[in-house]
Amino acid sequence: MSATHVRVRVGEEHYALPIEEVTEVSELPVRTPVPGAPSTVLGVASLRGQVIPVADLSAILGLGRSERPARMVVAQVGGQRAGLAVDAVTDVGFLPVASEPAGGRHLTGAALVEGDLVGLLAVGSVLDAIGGGRG
Amino acid sequence: MSGPDAALLDLFREETAERLDRIVEGLLAAEAGGAHAEQVDALFRDVHSIKGNAGMVGFDEARAIAHAMEDLLDRSRERGELVLSLVEPLLQASDAIRRAVEGEHGVAAPAIARLSMHDEGRQTPREASVAGGAPVAGGASPTAGASANGDAPATGPAPAAAGGSLRVAAEKVDTLLDAVGEASLHHRRIEHLVGDDSRGAGNEALEEELDRGQRLLGDLQDAVLQMRTLPLASIAGRFPRAVRDLAVREGKEVELVLEGTETQLDRTILDGISETISHLLSNAVVHGLEPAAEREQAGKPARGRVELRAEQRGGMVAIEVSDDGRGVRDEVLREASRRGSLVDVLAEAGFSTAERVTEAAGRGVGLDAVKTSVEALGGSLEVVSRPGSGTRATLLLPLTLALLRVLLVERDGYPFGIPLGSVIEALPVERSTALGGRTVLELRGRSVALTDLAESLGASGAPLGPRAPAIVVAAGGERAAVLVDGVLGEQEVVVKSLGLLAWVPGYLGAAVLGDGRVALVLDPAHVIRRAALGRSAPPTARNAPALDAGTQNAAVPKGSGGVDGSAGANGRPSANGSAAANEASRRSRVLVVDDQITVRELQRSILETAGYEVGTARDGREALDALTGDAVVDLVVTDLQMPNLDGIGLLEAIRADPERAELPVVVLTSMGDEADRRKGAQAGADAYLVKRDFDQRALLDTVARLIGE
Repeated sequence: MSATHVRVRVGEEHYALPIEEVTEVSELPVRTPVPGAPSTVLGVASLRGQVIPVADLSAILGLGRSERPARMVVAQVGGQRAGLAVDAVTDVGFLPVASEPAGGRHLTGAALVEGDLVGLLAVGSVLDAIGGGRG
Repeated sequence: MSGPDAALLDLFREETAERLDRIVEGLLAAEAGGAHAEQVDALFRDVHSIKGNAGMVGFDEARAIAHAMEDLLDRSRERGELVLSLVEPLLQASDAIRRAVEGEHGVAAPAIARLSMHDEGRQTPREASVAGGAPVAGGASPTAGASANGDAPATGPAPAAAGGSLRVAAEKVDTLLDAVGEASLHHRRIEHLVGDDSRGAGNEALEEELDRGQRLLGDLQDAVLQMRTLPLASIAGRFPRAVRDLAVREGKEVELVLEGTETQLDRTILDGISETISHLLSNAVVHGLEPAAEREQAGKPARGRVELRAEQRGGMVAIEVSDDGRGVRDEVLREASRRGSLVDVLAEAGFSTAERVTEAAGRGVGLDAVKTSVEALGGSLEVVSRPGSGTRATLLLPLTLALLRVLLVERDGYPFGIPLGSVIEALPVERSTALGGRTVLELRGRSVALTDLAESLGASGAPLGPRAPAIVVAAGGERAAVLVDGVLGEQEVVVKSLGLLAWVPGYLGAAVLGDGRVALVLDPAHVIRRAALGRSAPPTARNAPALDAGTQNAAVPKGSGGVDGSAGANGRPSANGSAAANEASRRSRVLVVDDQITVRELQRSILETAGYEVGTARDGREALDALTGDAVVDLVVTDLQMPNLDGIGLLEAIRADPERAELPVVVLTSMGDEADRRKGAQAGADAYLVKRDFDQRALLDTVARLIGE
C-alpha cells in the first residue's frame, strides 16, 4: 500500500505521517508550558483560537529533546489532536510500501526513500504518549 | 444493516432517549396517580414514533419491543385508562429499548415475553401480576401482526422540529463559540492598531464604531453561550425512576419532588453532575430516610420525602438534594463543628471510620467522590443536617464553564488565570511564618497555608521577588495563598479544554488571551490541596521574627529593603524614605479608586505597607464623596474604566474644583492604549501606570515622587 505522507526530519532521522492524520503544518508557535505534563510536552499553544498541546516528537521517539525545532505538524486521530514539533518538514508525497522492519513502539514500519530510511509513525500511539497513556 | 450514517444514528439515539425519558415519566405519573386517556395517548404516540424510527434505521429489536408496547398501550387506550400492573413491565420494556438502541442484542425476546404475560391480564385488569394466574407464554412475538405491522412511522408526531426548535450537534455550537472568540481577539487587535495609529486615535466616529463592534460581539457571545445551556430537566428524566427502583429495593416508601428543573446549566456541567445527583439521591433514600415503622414512631408520615431543587443564585446555580430522614447524629455534628465542615467529616467517613459512622451519619457513602467531582467543575458542596429531621446537600455550580471571570497573574513569565469566584484577596507578603514545616501567612489572625504557585503545580520557577503578591483563594471551605510574580488584572475568558492534556491535574483548562498568549486556568481546589501539603517554604517566605504580626498600620514602613540588607535589589529606599519622612508630621493619605476589589486591596496593602494611610472607593462618585469628606487626601490612584463615574470623569471633576486642582492623580488602568493615555493626560493626570506591567515599585516610586515634592 502506498499512500500520501508528510515527511519530517527530527535530528538526523526521517519520519512520515499519513496525510489523513495531519491537519496542518505551521511554524512552531509560542507555547505556554504546562507544569505536571509529561516531559515530552513543550506546552500548549493557540492555533487560531483553539488550544492545542505541543509535544517534542524527538523526545517522544526517545531521541532526546530536539535542539531547535522550527516547525509544527498538527496531527489528529479521532478527536485527539496535538502539534508535533519537528526540525523540518521535508516533503509531502507518496511513500512506497513499508519494506523494512521497524523498531520502536511508535512505528508501524519503515520505507527506503532515496537511500534514506523513513520511519512510518503510528500517529495514534504518539498521541497516546502525550495523553499520558490515558487515551 | 447497512445504510444509515453515523450522524443519523446519533440523531435517532438522542431522540429515542428523549422519548424514553418521557415515557418513563408518564408511566411513573400513571403509577402515582392514575393516567388519563390523554396521557395514555401521549405514551402511545411516543412508543409509536420509536417503533417507526427504529424500523427505519434498522434497529429491529427496538422496533419489535416498541411494537409489543404499542399493542399493550393501544388496548389501554381503548379502555381509557392504564392498568397499574402494566407499569412495571412497560418500564422494563423501555429499559430494554434503551439497551437495544445502545447496541445490545438479545434484549427483545425477554422484554416482549414479559409484556405478553401482562397482556393476558386484560381479562382481569386489576389483578394482573406476574405471580398470579400462570400466563400463556405464547409465541415469542405474541401480539405482533395484530394491528400496526407496516404502519408508516409518519403517523406519530413529526420528530425534531416540534416547537420550532432545531437539533444541532454540540460540536457545532462549540465551533461557533470558538469563532466568536476569534472575532473578539481580532477586534482587540484592531483596537490596538487604531490606538497606535495617529490617524485613528482621537477619531470619534471610529471609536464609536469600535465600541459598537464590541457590544455586538458581546451579544453574539451571550447568544452562543445560551445555546450551550440545557435545562436540568434534560438529565432529571431518569431520577424518578432510579429513586423509585431504589425505594422498592429498600422496602421504603419515597416521594420524589422535583423543583426548578427548568433551571439552565452549561451542557458540560450537566454531563458532569448527572452521576453526582444520582449519588446524592441514592444516599438520601438508602441512608437518609428511615424505614416506615421508624418514621411513624418518630411521628413522621410513613412515606419519606426526597426533594431535588434547582435555582439560579447570582452567577451560580444551586442544586439541592434534601430528605426528611433521620439526619446525622449529634456526635457527628459535634465533630463537624469542631472541624468546621460537615462535608469533610462525612467525606472522610466514607474512607476511614467505615460502616459505623457512615450508617450513623445517614450519609457519607462516597461523599468524598461527590465533593471531588463538584470541585473539579469549579463548584462547591455544602451539607447541613438536623438530627431527626433531615439532611440537605447543596451543590453550588458555575453557570457556565465556557466563560469565566479570572484574575490573571504571572509566574515565571507565563500567565495563569484564577477563577475570580475563588479569589478572596491579593496582598503582598510581608508576614509569613513557619509552623511545623509549613509556611503560613497570617491573615487577620488566621493562618493560611502559603505556597509558590510554581511549586503548587510541581514545577520550579525563578526565585520570587522580595514582596511577591500572594493571592488568597478559597474552595470547599478551605483557603490557601499562592505567591506569584505579579497581578495582571481581571478578565473574562473563554475556557478551553486542554484536550490530550486534560488529565494533567491542577487545571480547569486554558484560555487564549488578547495578545495571543495561552493562560492556564487553575483549579483552585487543587492549588489549595497542594498548599495544605506544605512541602517546603517558598524562597521568599520571610520567617522574620521582626515582623510582629498585627501591626498593619505600623508607623515605620516595613519595606524589606532595610531588613535583609539588599536594598539595591529590592527597591529604592526613596519610596519608603519619603513616606517615613512624612511620618514626622502626618502620614500621607492616598485614595485608591478601582471597581475591582482585588486590585483595590492589592494597592491598599502595598501602599499601607509602605507607610501610607489608604482610603478606597469603588468608582468616581464614591471617590468624590471621599474627597469632600473629613480626611485630607494627598494623592489619588484611579482606574479608568469604572461604573457610575469613570476615571476621566473623576479627573475632570477634580481639576474643575479650585481646591483640588493641584491634587496629584495617578491613573492606573488595564489598557495600555495610547488613546487612553492621551485622554488621561488631557484630563490632567500626573502619571499613568499600566496594570499589565504593574509593578509595585513603579507605583511606590510614582506616589513618592508626586507626594514628596
